[in-house]
Amino acid sequence: MDVLDAQLVPAVDGVAYGLLLFVVAAGLSLAFGTAGVLNLAHGTLYAVGAYVGAELSDGTWGGLAIGLVAGTAAACAAGAVLAAATAPLTRRGHLDQALLTFGLSLIGGNLLIDLFGADERPVRIPAQLDTSVSLLGHRYPAYRLCFIAMAVVLAAVGTWVLTRTRAGAAVRAAADDPQMLAASGISPRLVHTGMLAAAGALAGAAGVLGAPIIGPGPGTAENVLMLSLVVIVLGGLRSLWATLAAAIGVGEVQTLGVSVAPDWAPYLLFAAMAAVLVLRSRAGVLAAPGGHGADGGEPPKDPAAWLRRRVTAVVARGRSAAVRAPGPAARAARRAAPLGALLAVLVALPWFADAYSLSLAGYALALGLLAVSVTVLTGYAGLPTLGQTAPFAVGAYTTALMADAGWTVGPVQAIAAAAAAAVFSALTGPAVIRTRGTTVLMVTLAVGELTGTAIGQWKSVTGGTDGLAGFPLSRPLWGSGELLEEGDLYLYALVVAGCAVALTLLLLRSTAGKLLTGTRGAEERMQASGHPVSRYLLLAHIGAGALAGVGGALMVTVQQYVSPADVGFEIAALALLAAVIGGTTSVVGAMLGAGLIVYTRDWVAGSWPGHGPLLLGALFVAAVYLLPRGLAGLARRPPDHGEQRGAAAERVAPPEKARAEQGVTS
Amino acid sequence: MTPPAERDVKTMGRPPADPVLSLSGLTRRYGTLTAVDDVSLHLATGARHAVIGPNGAGKTTLLNLIAGTARPDEGAITLAGRDITRRAPARRSRLGIARSFQQPSAIRELTVLENVMLATWRHHPLRPGAWRRPKRLRQLAATASGQLEAVGLADVVHQPAGALSHGQRRLLDLAAALAARPSVLLLDEPAAGLTDRDVVRLLRVLDDISDDVAVLLVEHHTDLVAEFADTVTVLMAGRVLVSGPTREALSHPEVRDAYLDPVATAADAPASDSDRKG
Amino acid sequence: MLRVSGLTAGYHGGTVLHALDLTVPAGTVHAVVGHNGAGKTTLVHAIAGLLRPTAGGVFVDGQQVTGRPTHHIARAGVGLVPQGRRVFAHLTVAEHLRLAHRPPRRPRSGTAWTPDRVLELLPRLGERLGHRGGDLSGGEQQMLALARALLGTPRVLLLDEPTEGLAPVLVGQIRKLIVALADDGIAVLLVSPSPGLAAACARTITVLTSGRVTDRLDGAAARANPAQLHEALALAPAAKA
Repeated sequence: MDVLDAQLVPAVDGVAYGLLLFVVAAGLSLAFGTAGVLNLAHGTLYAVGAYVGAELSDGTWGGLAIGLVAGTAAACAAGAVLAAATAPLTRRGHLDQALLTFGLSLIGGNLLIDLFGADERPVRIPAQLDTSVSLLGHRYPAYRLCFIAMAVVLAAVGTWVLTRTRAGAAVRAAADDPQMLAASGISPRLVHTGMLAAAGALAGAAGVLGAPIIGPGPGTAENVLMLSLVVIVLGGLRSLWATLAAAIGVGEVQTLGVSVAPDWAPYLLFAAMAAVLVLRSRAGVLAAPGGHGADGGEPPKDPAAWLRRRVTAVVARGRSAAVRAPGPAARAARRAAPLGALLAVLVALPWFADAYSLSLAGYALALGLLAVSVTVLTGYAGLPTLGQTAPFAVGAYTTALMADAGWTVGPVQAIAAAAAAAVFSALTGPAVIRTRGTTVLMVTLAVGELTGTAIGQWKSVTGGTDGLAGFPLSRPLWGSGELLEEGDLYLYALVVAGCAVALTLLLLRSTAGKLLTGTRGAEERMQASGHPVSRYLLLAHIGAGALAGVGGALMVTVQQYVSPADVGFEIAALALLAAVIGGTTSVVGAMLGAGLIVYTRDWVAGSWPGHGPLLLGALFVAAVYLLPRGLAGLARRPPDHGEQRGAAAERVAPPEKARAEQGVTS
Repeated sequence: MTPPAERDVKTMGRPPADPVLSLSGLTRRYGTLTAVDDVSLHLATGARHAVIGPNGAGKTTLLNLIAGTARPDEGAITLAGRDITRRAPARRSRLGIARSFQQPSAIRELTVLENVMLATWRHHPLRPGAWRRPKRLRQLAATASGQLEAVGLADVVHQPAGALSHGQRRLLDLAAALAARPSVLLLDEPAAGLTDRDVVRLLRVLDDISDDVAVLLVEHHTDLVAEFADTVTVLMAGRVLVSGPTREALSHPEVRDAYLDPVATAADAPASDSDRKG
Repeated sequence: MLRVSGLTAGYHGGTVLHALDLTVPAGTVHAVVGHNGAGKTTLVHAIAGLLRPTAGGVFVDGQQVTGRPTHHIARAGVGLVPQGRRVFAHLTVAEHLRLAHRPPRRPRSGTAWTPDRVLELLPRLGERLGHRGGDLSGGEQQMLALARALLGTPRVLLLDEPTEGLAPVLVGQIRKLIVALADDGIAVLLVSPSPGLAAACARTITVLTSGRVTDRLDGAAARANPAQLHEALALAPAAKA
């Protein structure tokens, strides 16, 4: 009884925490389910509200009110900016939108630090609330109780608007079929903007009011985004009640869990999510939102399209001759030519590059393997992923721990890393492959984030946020010397990456690639023809995991250091960007994209110190706008609207059938 | 009063001596809606059976139950004496159930031929390693292109499937289903959205289906049903209204009242008839 | 009421529809028939603004609407009942009615459509007000798609294969509805693969082959002599080859 009694305060705290998450997650879920935007900048919107609220709150009621209005308005405006930025991409799949919002969140985060400083901000609340009240014999902070009331009001108003008003109906209709909404005389663009602005306002209000619970600081945005994602993944989409239950559950894990089992708290969230995902994968599919394959529609006015067309036209002019007549031999030669040229340049690199560039190149190879694993899942299996950093991390830490234990032969490390990552992927796979389309992005992101968090907190093994360093160097073979020189390290990495890529290409060009393509393009048909598609997808997930594991091993060999930041969300986004730049179905393109990104990031970080995230964000934005089909797209014909519709595509698939269009910019 | 003829028709659904496919007491509910309600059906080898009924009568759900993409809440399905009620769709396909889709999807990136080759892949006796060995690959391709020829897609064999028209995609879907050499073939409204001329061609393809295949056809196109099917089951709100020989079932008074509007059929009938002659 | 001149449209560079002309006077039904892939749905999409035409013009009551956004065209008085019905799966029937109800800004000839008037015309929907679009049967969805289009009080109604996948008894009902709506003063453009339906209610029938108009028949004549229409349809591909 005493135990129960002592947990009352954290339990009520958990409710407050959960309601806060609910308000934030509801906005994220709405933007995802209705506007089709996986808004990775949603946490930043919360941070905007929290910073503004903390800045304006001076401990008076007036201050709080002004903070609330200003914070809500600022986040609302930021939401509108997001809407304006993502609107031209509505026909381009969710992957591009997610990358764009991630770029904007990097930019926004950097601007917030510029404006408000890099320290956590103290939050002052009105004195009348800064006291405690007695609750069943316990002292309890009044603000939390007050917050619970306010959050309930916010949630109730939001729910009422969504389910009972015409505007809410328009929002839900836009989720089902934006074209038909337009044909009913309502501008989907307006709904899209209103939706994201409203979600922003909700997040901003939550930020102002929730600042005393999750305060403004540099890590706020990512923390809030991660927790909201977990809530949505647990609660599923479509049902607000399930989202509420999940939010309270997560809130309780974060408060009551920490209080009851402090040692286990870091892993509780992970365990809870794993349990729910496994249960759900048995019970049925996580409700995917209606597709947004806005096929055959009117191309939206796209300011970037013009610029892009110019760029493509210039490149295409030089290539048009080669594109015209693709005989079988010519086609094979054309395929092999860039690969050969690339290989020649890569092998020759140690003779003309300096040590620093070489270590960058080695890192690029590691990231490239990660990007290739993303390409295999996204482009071939049709599972757009943000979570390949998880097997990447498993591979990296396996290698570091092996080296620490004296196993220093590189290939053995790489194979062990691949095996460990494959086992990890086999365990997470069932949860991932049950879902389709953009929901995969969300599930994988949650898996990756939680893995990163768990690594950061498992100090005894992983060294926590400090990471692992000082382990013996790898040797390329038994009995050979350690890899000391940058040039040798690079060549070793090149050989390992080359083998991994060659093996991947071999597999993808064989039947396996066709089977995956079939599963992505016509899953029902494949199933009806006797193909065990789930098994194919699971195998692809395991294979991609092993590949990412080798990438992780290479990264550790090259850097001789690993920390949670090396396997964090930003790396996941970079790998996805590399895959997108590479054209999502091109393995070599993904490697090239990774190289481009690593060098650009390095150059960017050096060119304006302290603003690396800002410039990196700009890189994301530019890449998404200017390279709609990646580098591979530049090499092909100029882009045209309407994807791969048949010449006589009389029939427009109903939106829910348009899965193939989702997330895959093929 | 119940005319004797009606009772006769209703009892025609007697199980054949050795059915290849048997459904007994199948029931599937979606929330409060019972989409398929206690449906029993038995198909003999080589049967030509049609299921008709108004929209929402549960026809497609019935097909999904047989193909395995939906699971029944009650009842059992046996294929050649083997209980497959709980088998996964892919497993059923390998056991001999093939289907076509109302909204066929093809693998756009691959050629028409490759699409059908993938459909035979899991059924071909030469499967192990076939894709790797050129000779076996050629055999596989020959089977597939023969099937494509049979449905009239011979001249688009090497085009990407994404370039096909809606009607052609339906035929490709049919070829993919037939390529599996099934013992039971489920066809889900193959004539929907086809012009009358395409329907005639479709009928020719259906007529050529081998006699050892039992065909279950779900269709609205009553002319096609009358032409093709030997027996018909009429579904209404998930239940079997009538089951029996085509002509009797279609002329059954309850069916006429509920399903075939005499005015509408009168207006459409001459059109379809004259078209078929041409 | 609806005039289309020289309309050319297609997908990703390919042209599906070649310089098509047609007019639909108020209060009449104009049917477009043709084989699959002839460009019927492309025509409807180009008129409704779901697809931007590459050339030519679309005029509603003399007002040029070519290339305007879909919702502008809808507000100019074009109602669309799309192929496949495409009702909002997660909205109830009542919400569909409320969302789509859009009284015209300027009073138009004829009475404005209200949810009550639509329910009077389509009483079946009244029994299903609380059901979601996705839970309705095909016929009910078709009624709902029609109701959705009518509630914008359209002057032009585009019907794309409104009888596809419907039981014969419903086909008859839809046919009667089309005739009734035309009598009410709406210009109806009916796209149908079934010559029977076209002949039964159209004043003019356009035969479309590979994106071009290959024949234009009088509806009354086609009713009297169905063979004429079938010949036009059957001959069309031969003319191309």
